[in-house]
Formats: sequence, C-alpha cells, structure tokens
Amino acid sequence: MSHKQKKQEQQKEKQDTKQDERCMWGQGPLRQAQGRLSPVRLSAMLLALAITSTTVAATFPPTALAQKPTPAKTTEDLPPGAMQPKATTSCLECHEARIILQQRLSKPAWTKEVDKMVKWGAVVDANDRDALIDYLSTNFSPEQPPYEPPRTSMEKLSAKNGETKNAGTKTSK
Amino acid sequence: MNSRRDFLMQISRAALAAGAAPSLLSLSSSPAAAQTESIPVPGEDGLIVRSFRFVDLETPVEYLNTWLTPIPHFFVRNHMHEPSELNPDLANSDWRLTVGGEVENPLTLTFSALSKLETHSVVNTLECAGNGRSLHRPQVPGIQWGKGAVSTARFSGPRLRDILQRASVKPTGKHVMFRGLDEVPGKVPPFIRSIPLEKALDSDTLVATHMNGAPLTRHHGFPARALVPGWIGAASCKWLTEIKILDSEFVGNFMSPGYRFPNQPIKPGDSVKPEDTHPLTALNVKSVISGPLDGAKLKPGKVSARGAAWAGEADIVKVEVSTDGGATWNLATLGHDRAPYAWRLWTYDFKTKGGDYTILSRATDSQGRTQPPTPVWNPSGYLYNAPDQVTIHVA
Repeated sequence: MSHKQKKQEQQKEKQDTKQDERCMWGQGPLRQAQGRLSPVRLSAMLLALAITSTTVAATFPPTALAQKPTPAKTTEDLPPGAMQPKATTSCLECHEARIILQQRLSKPAWTKEVDKMVKWGAVVDANDRDALIDYLSTNFSPEQPPYEPPRTSMEKLSAKNGETKNAGTKTSK
Repeated sequence: MNSRRDFLMQISRAALAAGAAPSLLSLSSSPAAAQTESIPVPGEDGLIVRSFRFVDLETPVEYLNTWLTPIPHFFVRNHMHEPSELNPDLANSDWRLTVGGEVENPLTLTFSALSKLETHSVVNTLECAGNGRSLHRPQVPGIQWGKGAVSTARFSGPRLRDILQRASVKPTGKHVMFRGLDEVPGKVPPFIRSIPLEKALDSDTLVATHMNGAPLTRHHGFPARALVPGWIGAASCKWLTEIKILDSEFVGNFMSPGYRFPNQPIKPGDSVKPEDTHPLTALNVKSVISGPLDGAKLKPGKVSARGAAWAGEADIVKVEVSTDGGATWNLATLGHDRAPYAWRLWTYDFKTKGGDYTILSRATDSQGRTQPPTPVWNPSGYLYNAPDQVTIHVA
C-alpha cells in the first residue's frame, strides 16, 4: 500500500469513527459537534453532560463517581453441591448460569422448568431428574436473597484485530 | 461456536468506535452500581448483565432520562444466540431478505436493494413484554428484568408496506411472519413470530436498518430488523432474513404459549388455560422514575423527580406524582419532545424538609387507561405496570 493510499485509508477510518461516535450516542448533545471528536473532547462533553445533569448533581455523592467497578467473571458457575457437575453439563450447554442464578422459584415451578428444558434438548438422565429439581429449588427458592448482577463496561479495543485487550475468558460451548 | 473471540470479532466495527468513547456516563450510575462488578462488553456501557450468553442487558433506570437513548445504553434482549456468520461488509455479504408465502411475486432482496427503497423514520419506545418481571409476586420464571428493559430510539429503514406491495400479497394473506438468523441451541423452538397484516401495512411499521442515525449494531439486529411500533419488543424480530405471508397466525412456541396474557384477571400463583389467553400486541400504559434513585440520601431542599412515561400505540396525557406514598397526587410537567410511539419525559419538583419520602409515578393515556394501583399478575410476568416507586432519605 502506497503512502498516499495509507493516508486515504486513515482519513476514511477517521471519518467513519467520527460518524459512529456521533451516532452511537444518539442525536442528543453530541449532534452539533463539528469536526473530529477527540477522546479528550468527548470526555469533556460527557463530563459536562454528567455534571449539568440534575440526576447526578442531586443524587450522587462525589465519592461514588470516583469509584471504579471491579472486574467480574464473564460467565458464572452454578453453586457447589452433589448435582453441580451434572447441572452444569445439562443446563450450561445452551445458556450461562446467570439465567438460573437469578430465578427464585418454588419446587413446582422448577419442576415445570426442568421438564420444559428436557423437552427443548437438555440432556438429563431420568434417574437424575428429581435430584436436579431438588438442587435448583434448594439453591434458588423464593426465600433466597436476590442475585446481584454485574454491569457492562466498554473497554478499549486493539484497532489491529478488534479484540479486547483482556480477551481470554472461556465462554465457548 | 459463539466463542468469546467470535463474539468480539463479530461486533468489532461498532465496538471500535464505541471503545474510543470513554465510559464516563457509566460513572453517573448509582452509588450501588459504582461498587458493582463489571464485565467488558464492547459498545454497551454500564448496562445490567441479566445474561452474558446469550446476551440480555438491562438499562439502569438512571439512563432512562433522555428522549432518545444512546445506543450504548439501549437495553438488549436476545432469545437465542446471536448469528455467528454475519459479514459486516454488506456490499459483499450473502445476507438476503426473502419475501414469500401468500404473495404473487416472491422477492429476494440484497441489502443494496433494500437500501434503495424510500426510508422512513419512527421514534419508538421499545419495551420487552417481560420488563418488570422481577417485581411480580409470586415470582415467575424468565429473565428477571427490573425496570429497564425499555429504551427509545429513532429507527429508520424502508416501510414494510412498500416491500409487501412489491411482493403483492394475495387476498388469502392475513398474517406476516418474521424469521431472524438467531442460532437455536438444542431443540429449542426457533424464535419465529407473526403480526396481523393490518399492522404490517401500517405506514410506521418498518424493516429498520438504522437506529439513531447509525447502522444497527450486532446486538440490535444488524443488518435489518422488523420494527413494529408501539408493540411488545418481541414483535420486532432482529437479524431479519425471511418475511412470509401466512393465511393464519404463525403456530409456534413464541406465539403460544409464549407472549400470551390471561383474558380475565387471575389470582396470583394460579395457572390459566391456553384457550383463556390472547396474544400480546400493543404495550400498556406505564411510567418509570429515573431519579432520584431508590435509597438516595439527599439534603433538605428542592428535589427534581423525573422519569419517562409511555403507552404503546396511545399517547400519554398526564403523569401524576405522589411524594407521600400515594396519599396525594400532583401533575408532573411533560417534556416537549414527543412522537406517536415514543415516551414522554416528565419532571416534578418539590421541597423536602427531612425524613423519608416515598415517591410514586402514575401515567394516564389517550385511551383512558391509568396504571393500576397493584400489578396485574400473570404466569409469565408480562406487562408489569403498577406505579413506579422509590424512597429517598432526607437529612
């Protein structure tokens, strides 16, 4: 690639990024922004937005703003117990543990769920069905405190390959 | 399949742009949220992770404070795994939209052909039918959404009507089925649903390719999705690849028993026969308080309560706010931004001295519907719309 071509490519990438930045955040405060939004300028605008928002001003103490979230596991594990390995094999083939961890159901409700999932392809040995229902209804009954979910954080990506810098947590099936 | 690497690669373009934007707005989340653990998800800022695989992300209430929701704050609802084979380069993509069934002229559209059709824009408040499910008692199975499986965006793309006219629907055609490219695990029934032809021909029903002026991101159905304004989110099929005209409603899990509501009120915890239910269509009337947050500790003085209210195909006519736990109600001021299927923002200022204040919001729409004082329980936890409520501590 010639130097000129390279420069054109870079120019185009810049324009695309500008377009995306503006659009990703809707057509609100950033809409009028002319020229390239440098990360610094964007920071300043977002900060201004945050500070002028009465939401923030009225509700959040400055200390809360200073705190940074800590990293969480991308996908969760099921709780310990004799049925944990089998439940992991049967359930987590198709979805992650959080979908189970957030439920608070009675034993009859868990029975319905397990039977529905078996119909939908979950492999559960007939001899394990009752134990699996017991495991789920013991760990995820209405009496348990609610599951506290994590939040997403946007992270910087390597422009080279589009991968996140700390990619590597296993989620493959 | 669907490894994290694939997942990340597939959304790389949108993510690259989003990744360049600092995550400052996420710091404006609640004090509780600031202490919460986080998971990096490119393009999605500060959303509550209901599920990572498959992806279900909820918008925290404090982000429901702008008329248009920025894409990184727009909730994500997936029933299945996202398609793994989607070429972001649409000019060279083998993505096609087919239109068949009860039509005279079956069509196969490339993205380029779709883009040549006249574009129409609709500002729509999209809400998952299960929004608020976690608030029902007794609790019911499903994604345990809090209050934020709802967001608003300007959706753009060709009208579905224009596409159907080109295909020429036969008189036998009564329902329009959408199939997306979602990847179905195990023997799970595919996520296929249909809408009545009348709604499909509405001038505001779209095959949307853009949100807030930008191409759809992967999480929101790239390259095209149905947009059925005012209806439950499940009607607006993502990663759309097939439109089929049927002579009757599509028969499948996500039409029945999924997404149906009891014809008559039932006692919480009771079951209902399928024949005593009807399919969910338009959203009901509802409001949410985006601030102050529940549990906030404030100094005495002026408090600005604020939020959003929406009513599917109807308009919001008033929002009332109580600051004394529902004993008395006061009219909130509605925001200027409005559109037929979009929420109205609202504010209500009041003075506090000291002690606890329980703030409630209650919306009324142009069909005369008002949020009911108690939730209407149903076995799948759909359409929760009791008044929203937060308690603040003033000292």
